[in-house]
Amino acid sequence: MNVLRRWLPLVGLVGPSVLVLGVLALYPVLRVLVDSFFNVDYTSGHRTFAGLANYRAVLADDNFSASFVNTLHFTVVASVSEVALGGALALLFSRAFRGRRFVMPLLILPMMLSTLVCSAIWRNWLNFSGFLNALLAVFGLPGVQWLSDPSLAIWSLILVDVWQWTPMAFLIILAGLQSIDPELYEAARTDGASEWQCLRDITLPLVVPQIVLAMLLRSIDTFKLFDKVYALTGGGPGNATQTLSTYVYDTGFRFFNVGPASAASVLMLLVSAVLVSVNVWQSIRKTRTR
Amino acid sequence: MKLFTCLRAVSAAVALSIVTLSVSAADLVIAGRDDIYGKGLAEAVAGFKKLHPAADIELLKLPNANLYQKLKLSMREGTGAYDLVMMDDTWSPEFISNGWLKPLPATLVDTDMVASTVALGRATNGGLYALPVVGNVEMFAYRRDLLAKYKLQAPRTWDDVLKIAQVTGADASVSGVVFRGTKGNPVVTGFLPILWAYGGDVIDAGGKVTIDSPQALAALKMFVSLKAHAPKDVAVYGAAEVRDALQKGAAAQAIEVWPAWVPALDDPKQSRVVGEVALQAPPGQVKGSSPMLGIWQMAIPKDAQHALLAQEFLAYLTSRDTQTRLAAMGIPPTRKSVFEDPALVKQFRWYPDQLKALEAGRARPRVKNWEQIESLLGDALQLVLTGQLAPEAALRQASQKIAPVLTTAAK
Repeated sequence: MNVLRRWLPLVGLVGPSVLVLGVLALYPVLRVLVDSFFNVDYTSGHRTFAGLANYRAVLADDNFSASFVNTLHFTVVASVSEVALGGALALLFSRAFRGRRFVMPLLILPMMLSTLVCSAIWRNWLNFSGFLNALLAVFGLPGVQWLSDPSLAIWSLILVDVWQWTPMAFLIILAGLQSIDPELYEAARTDGASEWQCLRDITLPLVVPQIVLAMLLRSIDTFKLFDKVYALTGGGPGNATQTLSTYVYDTGFRFFNVGPASAASVLMLLVSAVLVSVNVWQSIRKTRTR
Repeated sequence: MKLFTCLRAVSAAVALSIVTLSVSAADLVIAGRDDIYGKGLAEAVAGFKKLHPAADIELLKLPNANLYQKLKLSMREGTGAYDLVMMDDTWSPEFISNGWLKPLPATLVDTDMVASTVALGRATNGGLYALPVVGNVEMFAYRRDLLAKYKLQAPRTWDDVLKIAQVTGADASVSGVVFRGTKGNPVVTGFLPILWAYGGDVIDAGGKVTIDSPQALAALKMFVSLKAHAPKDVAVYGAAEVRDALQKGAAAQAIEVWPAWVPALDDPKQSRVVGEVALQAPPGQVKGSSPMLGIWQMAIPKDAQHALLAQEFLAYLTSRDTQTRLAAMGIPPTRKSVFEDPALVKQFRWYPDQLKALEAGRARPRVKNWEQIESLLGDALQLVLTGQLAPEAALRQASQKIAPVLTTAAK
């Protein structure tokens, strides 16, 4: 009776959340996992066990390999660039300067735009006869095929993502910088520390949790890249900008090949889980060290 | 304050319930396309409501890919969400063979409707399941003034097209040729009339993949030669870019023009080449011209909850009067009498040629998985256009990838 009295409120409080989590998160994941081992005829609903055949088919598909490489490329370059640039801007804006109050809202504006609006703006700029090439022409430089050159298209997408999401890394790191006690700097300067030493030995170590958080959030988001590809390149030219998300979308929702799409989703989830685990582990390790 | 928050929450919940109820309580739910087709449907709905003032009609305007997904999911699950659905003609083989559409009475068809467009709504046993509502056919465009300037004749073969592109493209302000190079449906749609003109095909009558053929290779090499005279970023060109290039006078020829794209070609407010662009059926080569059909059809799902009203609307939409009104908006009709309407011929001077192209039009392969086959072929074509793959290797690769899809479709 005592045990029941002790556990009942706990179950009552936690139970609904567990139930919602189970229905909304666990069930779909388990369903995808199960489907990845079956040949599913979407029209008739007929299912036959396929073992690892869907995984073998997906791994042998050159579109999947290209999507995987493109996704990793985009994730690493875009996340690192956004955090580095966001960090540099945060350092700049952590000091007072004239006009700071007016520049700051402008700086975070791209983050507030919907991705499709942002893509529409950049589609015009990246067009061969668009704004960027017009700008190059002013300096006597030849036009660049930003979206139609297979070796450049992914970099153009990175550029758009950096433009849109650097403000997020900037805000997170700026919050970290503003939470550092100014007395630490005063004490260091009294001891004769230079600006560089203050940055290296006080600022950077204390802002590491925010950098890791920004990196974690941006890498999770960039790994799921879909909308910019959809709006700007459609995965082309060729498969130069095809990502794992667009691969799963095409396989599952355009061609209704449920088994292979599920297998690709599971592989994507595994990679994503590894990325998150590494980041979280780093974060925990840093916290413990402190 | 607490009471105010509570009231706000309750009113939001009530509003949501009313919206949900009103959606599900509509007398006719139509799933259609967006863009100019959506405007046409809205116009037709407004006209139909005058005849049925009490009818509550809900019109969904959806982009192409989104429409296909919604229809497939809804009809497969038998949700009864839609009473009337708009379909690309390549979707009907799948929807009909899956038993997802209601048969339509033969009385809905008459001899004024262009036969080639009606045929695409029939099952293999001849039963009628869908009616054509937009008579789209792929046309070829060229600039009459530029051809006259260089003393060139209108192109009759793809070799002529290449020659015109070479000559007119010498002027830096004009591209010799323009087309949609975007991955998937656009690039395939641009390539098919060339492929057919060279005697090639994607799939033969027996359902076997035939894209890795000498005819297809010759057609693809021609496509690559033409690309050399196209704008540098043609690989990401869509309908808007092709239309803009034509209307701004920046292109001498366009491989692929759908009449619904260019209703403003002769509008001085939007076009710099009023009266100078000619539209004709695509050129031939080893074979005669093969204009591609891109018919938008409408059908009644088997699970439709208001099938009778849907059928009445379909009859209204395909009637001569409605088709005439929609044609004036720039939507290609499906009736011969509308193509011959003097006022419309004055507005769209290419109507006589368009009707001929529509009557002689050729449909894309009538297989269940055309969406996927088109995507695989589109990938291969784009790899060639962007110089990442040789034409021979691309066709071989496309053939190898398409074959298992056809096997799955045949099961």
